[in-house]
Amino acid sequence: ALRRQRVEVNIELRKAKKYEQILKRRSISVSLVDVSPSPGEDHEIKMSLEEIAEAVNGSNEELQLLATQEVRRMLSRRNPPINQIIELGIVPRLVEFLSYYDNAPLQFEAAWALTNIASGTSDHTKAVVEGGAIPALVSLLSSPHMHISEQSVWAMGNIAGDGPLYRDALFRCNVIRPLLALVSPTTPIGFLRNITWTLSNLCRNKNPYPPLDAVKKILPVLLYLMEYEDKDITSDSCWAFSYLTDGPNDRIQIVLDTGILPRLVGLMVSPDLTIVTPALRAIGNVVTGTDEQTQAAIDAGVLTALPYLLHHVRPAIQKEAAWALSNIAAGPPQQIQQLITCGLLPPLVELLDKGDFTAQKEAVWVVANFTVGGTVEQVVELVQSGVLKPLLNLLSTNDSKIILLILDTISNLFLAAEKVGERDRLSLLVEELGGLEKIEALQNHDNNLVYQAALSVLDKYFS
Amino acid sequence: MFISDCRREFYDVIVSQRVLLLVASDVDALCACKILQALFQCDHVQYTLVPVSGWQELETAFLEHKDQFKYFVLINCGANVDLLEILQPEEDTFFFVCDSHRPINVVNVYNGTQIKLLVKQDDDLDVPAYDDIFRDEDDEEEDSENESDGSEPSEKRRRFEEDVIERTMKRRQRREWEARRREILFDYEQYEYHGTSSAMVMFDLAWIMSKDLNDMLWWAIVGLTDQWVQDKITQMKYVTDIGVLQRHVSRHNHRNEDEENSLSIDCMRIAFEYDLRLALYQHWSLYESLCNTSYTSATLKLWSVQGQKRLQEFLADMGLPLKQVKQKFNSMDMSLKENLREMIEESANKFGMKDLRVQTFSIHFGFKNKFSASDIVYATASLMENIEKEGPETTNFIKALDSLSRGNLDKLHQGLDLAKKQLRAIQQTVASCICTNLVISQGPFLYCSLMEGTPDVKLFSKPVSLCLLSKYLLKSFVCSTKNKRCKLLPLVMTAPMDVEQGTVIMVGIPPETESSDKK
Repeated sequence: ALRRQRVEVNIELRKAKKYEQILKRRSISVSLVDVSPSPGEDHEIKMSLEEIAEAVNGSNEELQLLATQEVRRMLSRRNPPINQIIELGIVPRLVEFLSYYDNAPLQFEAAWALTNIASGTSDHTKAVVEGGAIPALVSLLSSPHMHISEQSVWAMGNIAGDGPLYRDALFRCNVIRPLLALVSPTTPIGFLRNITWTLSNLCRNKNPYPPLDAVKKILPVLLYLMEYEDKDITSDSCWAFSYLTDGPNDRIQIVLDTGILPRLVGLMVSPDLTIVTPALRAIGNVVTGTDEQTQAAIDAGVLTALPYLLHHVRPAIQKEAAWALSNIAAGPPQQIQQLITCGLLPPLVELLDKGDFTAQKEAVWVVANFTVGGTVEQVVELVQSGVLKPLLNLLSTNDSKIILLILDTISNLFLAAEKVGERDRLSLLVEELGGLEKIEALQNHDNNLVYQAALSVLDKYFS
Repeated sequence: MFISDCRREFYDVIVSQRVLLLVASDVDALCACKILQALFQCDHVQYTLVPVSGWQELETAFLEHKDQFKYFVLINCGANVDLLEILQPEEDTFFFVCDSHRPINVVNVYNGTQIKLLVKQDDDLDVPAYDDIFRDEDDEEEDSENESDGSEPSEKRRRFEEDVIERTMKRRQRREWEARRREILFDYEQYEYHGTSSAMVMFDLAWIMSKDLNDMLWWAIVGLTDQWVQDKITQMKYVTDIGVLQRHVSRHNHRNEDEENSLSIDCMRIAFEYDLRLALYQHWSLYESLCNTSYTSATLKLWSVQGQKRLQEFLADMGLPLKQVKQKFNSMDMSLKENLREMIEESANKFGMKDLRVQTFSIHFGFKNKFSASDIVYATASLMENIEKEGPETTNFIKALDSLSRGNLDKLHQGLDLAKKQLRAIQQTVASCICTNLVISQGPFLYCSLMEGTPDVKLFSKPVSLCLLSKYLLKSFVCSTKNKRCKLLPLVMTAPMDVEQGTVIMVGIPPETESSDKK
């Protein structure tokens, strides 16, 4: 059987939904807040946009700072007027302020303002990048002021998060060394969280994947961060690993070579959903790799962890756990045997019977792959575990692909049965479980392939 | 919001307006209504009176009249619910609420424009502070995404005004405040109780305006007595309020002045009495009254044979021959009626009845009209809940209201007759329930259900009657059983309400030993 890559569709949907939510939140606040022409409702200084532009472009240092601070405040509240700020044309000037080493407050305010501009849409981030921010921000990583270097890290996280283009622009600007140098045992936890998040964005996105040499430099630091007892750091680090394992086998190998696998498997059973999700994702990615890579995951204990996840309260987790299991079941008989030995059959049957529908579909794949790659004895054990009943029940689904998969699986079961002379017994069993009825009913199915597959099964094994 | 100057903030406001009076169905409310109507009559205030016996009727009445009235006066209803929420009135509608129900809903307390509460300041209210329960919606910090779900970290993050730490603090503070708020509101709202009688509040208003008359004072007395009869206030509050009214009684009813007019038919006199708490005894026979007053009936356990024996002993102890005692009270020998109260009290003490006398008032007018305040309470309540329907729905309410006026003696006497029937029915039902073990212990509470076909069960299809029955039943039941635990249990009673519709009326009352009035 072939291992299957994870379907990307859900991520796109999830991204769109979150953006929607953010938009929704903004539109609610519009009705609550007075649309007043002057920004800044609760402090003394009120500057108009024109005044701000004048001050920023001028040479009076005090005014520059005041204006930049004002901009930062405007961008830090509800409904930040990002477009208006960009239209003022002051973004390049703000970038310039980043290099005013004798005016730390100004550097800080500018960095914060630019962070918030870059947090908007792609066009907003573009304005910041095209203003020349990247090299300036990289330089700021070496600032003697921690709050300034931290702000720079944050801004870079936003830029990297925009997409592979700007991510790689950061790499080309040599962001790695100064960024990683900021991680030390004395770094405050808040700062570490920011760094971890930015690193995760630097590992993120495909087309293209992050450059290998950069990844190789980041990995040791990620390992270090994974040891931290902090929810946010652990979660973001796991996400980074999930991104890095989401690729061709050579990428998976680089990650495996760090020895992180046992730690990741351990995190799969964390009580914290924000940690379980990325850890499971990463491991799921690993077992889409070669048999050896899958074996490494098995050796690290993934088969002990999976049963918990197969009946996790969240359907999404059930589904990904089943998907991972289906890829393990696509391996050689030795791995299928380990699947049996580690007691994965009972939870599998339960999932097939009562799990969330999206998870049930993946469970069908597990069974299907099992019947393709397993030995006759293993297939017999599979049938003895009670998998047939829920499997046949799923024939009443609307999903034609799944129906075809099930019919295919049934054929495989019969092939195995024939080898041990139990063909008739299997037919009887299928009939007793109501399966024959269901398959007969499929002759009336709209889908031609389904109809033909059903017919074929009936012909061969039930006539 | 509480009104501090009843005259200026209430009466002066409505005196020139058309007002809708929504009056609840209890005797205290009727008395308050009478006082207000008397004031309205003096000042020619235009008003419409609508009796309401429950929330549904209140809502319906409001909806029907909201287009014609902007000023509503609610008597003994509305204080303990969020009126604005329930009625959804327009902004230019005003509600004056004179209601003894407590606790007062916090929204009513803090609404500054539309809800005006006519409540005495010394009523113990314990209203929570504004800041403890209301919070102006300030900027909601935008939550960081991925709080507890497993979705991917955001690609971009904006940095907000407050520092992250400050933000977490704010969130924590908010959660603490909300937890404290829940506790405060729970404590405030968990027990129901009653404040000062609405009739007394109305009398107070009349007094402030120097328009108080003896008749109004009498209604205030009846209102207070109604609260006592129905067990709505503590003994202490009752005694305190009696003291308040006594001062007014002295003022209105100087003995010296009345010597000349004491026989005048139009004149009425109120007198303080330390009277027997035997229901209707002056309009009945002493014997009947002893049998049908729950205090005596329960203590002597008159539903049993031994109880009957005890009653004979009690009468013998007082030297009262049975024949005399069974006659109408007025026909009893004068020699026996002299010192009757002291005699009964002395004997009662021996038989375990230490509270057979109670502070109250009586009214005298005309030649032979003498009534105790509790007489009026029972009579009026019986008229109000009379199951014989003699016309449209509100007829009984109006008749009960009318009976409070001295000129309507015939209605008052009808009420007294009905009251006697009711009290007898109550005692018989109580006796039957106890003797046939109809009171069941359901674990955390006692339960008794009256079936269709039970004699007089129709009388108990009304709330005040059923409540009275329940209280008397519980009192008697506690005396009847050796099980000490019963003293701690509340009682739930049901009776058929409308046989055709198959509805049932249900009442729950607090345990016997509760000395607090909080339910």
